[in-house]
Amino acid sequence: MRSLQKIKPFRWGIELILITIFQLISFTEVMLDAGENSSKFILIFFVFLVVEWAYTLLMRISIKQTSFELEFISFFLSGIGLSLVATLDSDFLADGTQTQASYAAKQLLYILAGLVCFMVLRWVIANTDRVAALRPPVAVISGAILAANIVLGQDINGAKNWITIGGFSFQPSEIVKVLFIFVGAATLDKLQTTRSVIKYIIFSVGCIGALFIMRDFGTAVVFFVTFLIITFMRSGDIRTILLICIAALVGAFLIIFFKPYVAERFSTYRHIWETPYGEGMQQTRVLIYSASGGLFGLGLGQGMLRETFAATTDLVFGMVCEEYGMIIAFAIIISFAAIVVYTVAGAKAARSSFYAIAACSAAGLLLVQLSLNVFGVTDLLPLTGVTLPFISRGGSSMISCWMLMAFIKSIDPRAYPKTLKETQALG
Amino acid sequence: MHNTAKRALTLLFFVAAFLAGVVILIVTFVMNSNTWATYSTNQHLYSKGNIISAGTVYDADNNILAKTENSVRIYNDDSTVRAATLHAVGDTEGCISTGVHSIFQAELTGYSLVNGVYYLKQNSVGNDITLTLKSDVCATAYSALNGKKGTVGVYNYKDGNIVCMVSSPSYDPENKPSAEIINSDEYEGVYINRFLSGLYTPGSTFKIISSAAALENLPDIYSRTFTCTGELEVKGSDRGVICNSVHGTLNFESALNHSCNFAFAQIAIDIGKTNMQKTVERLGLTSSYEVDRVKISKGIFDLSGSVDIDIGWAGIGQYTTQINPCMMLSVLGAIANNGVATKPYFVKSIINYAGVTTYSNSTDTVDEINMSPELSENLKSLMRSNVANYYGDYNFPGLTMCGKTGTAEVSNKKSTALFAGFSADEDFPYAVIVIVEDSGTSGYSTAIPIANKVLQSLR
Repeated sequence: MRSLQKIKPFRWGIELILITIFQLISFTEVMLDAGENSSKFILIFFVFLVVEWAYTLLMRISIKQTSFELEFISFFLSGIGLSLVATLDSDFLADGTQTQASYAAKQLLYILAGLVCFMVLRWVIANTDRVAALRPPVAVISGAILAANIVLGQDINGAKNWITIGGFSFQPSEIVKVLFIFVGAATLDKLQTTRSVIKYIIFSVGCIGALFIMRDFGTAVVFFVTFLIITFMRSGDIRTILLICIAALVGAFLIIFFKPYVAERFSTYRHIWETPYGEGMQQTRVLIYSASGGLFGLGLGQGMLRETFAATTDLVFGMVCEEYGMIIAFAIIISFAAIVVYTVAGAKAARSSFYAIAACSAAGLLLVQLSLNVFGVTDLLPLTGVTLPFISRGGSSMISCWMLMAFIKSIDPRAYPKTLKETQALG
Repeated sequence: MHNTAKRALTLLFFVAAFLAGVVILIVTFVMNSNTWATYSTNQHLYSKGNIISAGTVYDADNNILAKTENSVRIYNDDSTVRAATLHAVGDTEGCISTGVHSIFQAELTGYSLVNGVYYLKQNSVGNDITLTLKSDVCATAYSALNGKKGTVGVYNYKDGNIVCMVSSPSYDPENKPSAEIINSDEYEGVYINRFLSGLYTPGSTFKIISSAAALENLPDIYSRTFTCTGELEVKGSDRGVICNSVHGTLNFESALNHSCNFAFAQIAIDIGKTNMQKTVERLGLTSSYEVDRVKISKGIFDLSGSVDIDIGWAGIGQYTTQINPCMMLSVLGAIANNGVATKPYFVKSIINYAGVTTYSNSTDTVDEINMSPELSENLKSLMRSNVANYYGDYNFPGLTMCGKTGTAEVSNKKSTALFAGFSADEDFPYAVIVIVEDSGTSGYSTAIPIANKVLQSLR
């Protein structure tokens, strides 16, 4: 595979204009759907577009960045999520019952927070010495967050993975995703001493175990796959990976044997049509309404899946199919596959193996999470309740997705044109 | 450095597995989207389990059989027509799974994989479906059955149009009987279209098939004579095959005219089980095909493990023999149509909201039925002889009918009355099958008058 340096970047201007046109159409549809209440959304959409353009121009001028593929994918996906969330607001407005609905405004804030965190993390990891210095405290913080989650966590829909502080609720495991890669990639890059490997494995088992205690099995699987990627990227040892997988399988069987309720949670898997008004409700509705959308969708705000619980969070893929149509849904799916291919192509050019490992594990994490979500809501895999990256409504997920993008961004030397020359001189 | 880059390539396996999953997802979608979208909890299409909006169903003369007005499904004005066409049209609850309401649900609601339910939402109309049925003929047939269970099917053996398809018991969908009544014996099998999905002991109508086997396997059949003593004694069995009468000496043709069990049991035994089985299978009676996406039931003719007496009974349409009315009607079509079995259908065309025809049926043949023109000619003249020389043409005024009656013995019930036949008139190419369950009367006295009434109403 050719390294990214030799691939000419897309022409960022045209790319940005096309995405903007798509977003303008989406936003217009939302406003038409909202009717006389549409003014409420003008500011929200305007700010979104301004930030999108301002970020691009700023990076273009300040550090002469030429490649924006990752940011544009993130903006493209975030924009879709924002539009869907906004139609939910206009439902409430038309309803008259909740005139102060402000999902869209919140979602916009999450996107902005995500973008800021993306830029900060880019800066933090630009210096590998800084990363090494930050590793121990970050590992401790991760553990503390998960521990706090177990103690303070609230049981929402069967999983104890939410913390509410001062009326603001968030999912700690989303943030730990980022820290997990930060710690893992850094550790293994430093020294392949037995001690550091053992430390890392203890840390990983701790994280995944904590997720099991919280009954957040979907996120546990996401962490586990990320753990495998990091371990393999560093050691290149297939046997170790196989051993870990076997151990995990044995563990899974033991859990199912001793805690039958775990298996019970997945009893509807492949049987959703037997209980369309019970356990199979969410997935059957996703399939029914996805099929109703056809290739081109029914239009924003015109769907019926929105009436189903968790429509804009876990089930949002169904809403995309119903309202945006199958073609856009497919574009979303392909975006994530493209991110992984981009990462693989870029790994060679990474300035340090820390970047290669971090980028690969972040890209793999996003793909696994997307798979669990998309195939889960369509009943090809068990439903685990993980979010659709960038599109599902919610702050923690949005911020962690943008931060994962920072890891992927780090492999692309074109993103740091100023330092590119030095690197080449060194190399 | 380079190690990590190489290891990164393994991520492509994730991508490949992921894309394989996406392909499975797309295939699953394409294959099931019709079923999913038309599921009764889809609020785009249904309200409280009833279709909110769907196209109109017309009969062959553009009479409305079912339409939607203000989110309510309304049927034909006439209650007899409603009951007579219920199994073809279907209900709104999906109990009758072979009606167009179920089978063509996606088309009726205007659903398509490409556009989803978009057009239905935009225009509040689905696609219109025109059937080949004539509602007045169906109503005549339903009335003629007079509350008896059974079925009447009539189709044009040249173009395949089913003009009459009635299954009884039925009910008026606008005054559906209570759950208790509908589950009683009186309404047993009410949701089944007996014409497409039923299986019946054919009795003497099966002698048409035994005749075909005789013509194919016994070269001297026309010169044979049979001396009927009222009971055919069969070697290896204490009891013989009982005949309906003591017919004395008969030849092949008069044996069929008189429906002599003695002669036909003897013929079947002479042909032997292997060759009987072959002919029945070659004529398609144990096969199935699709009538407008509905797979018809397969008939049963199984002589494996049978002894001579069983073969004798099977040859006169008893033993374990069962036929499907629609398949039998197609065989009659083949006899009438020079050996070519035209495939029956009852959905003529589908027209979308914009007036464009999106589906139209055309004349096809039933590949499962293999009959030589010579065989069809011989069978035709034998069946013509039945009506002309035995039943009497006065039973079918103005028609050149060919046919065979049957009175089938069924366990735990009174006998079934049957008539299977066709008009040989060039300008009236219709085949007919009438089956009246639990009648206790003969095919001649019960089924022939019904066949005639229905055919006369068609002229």
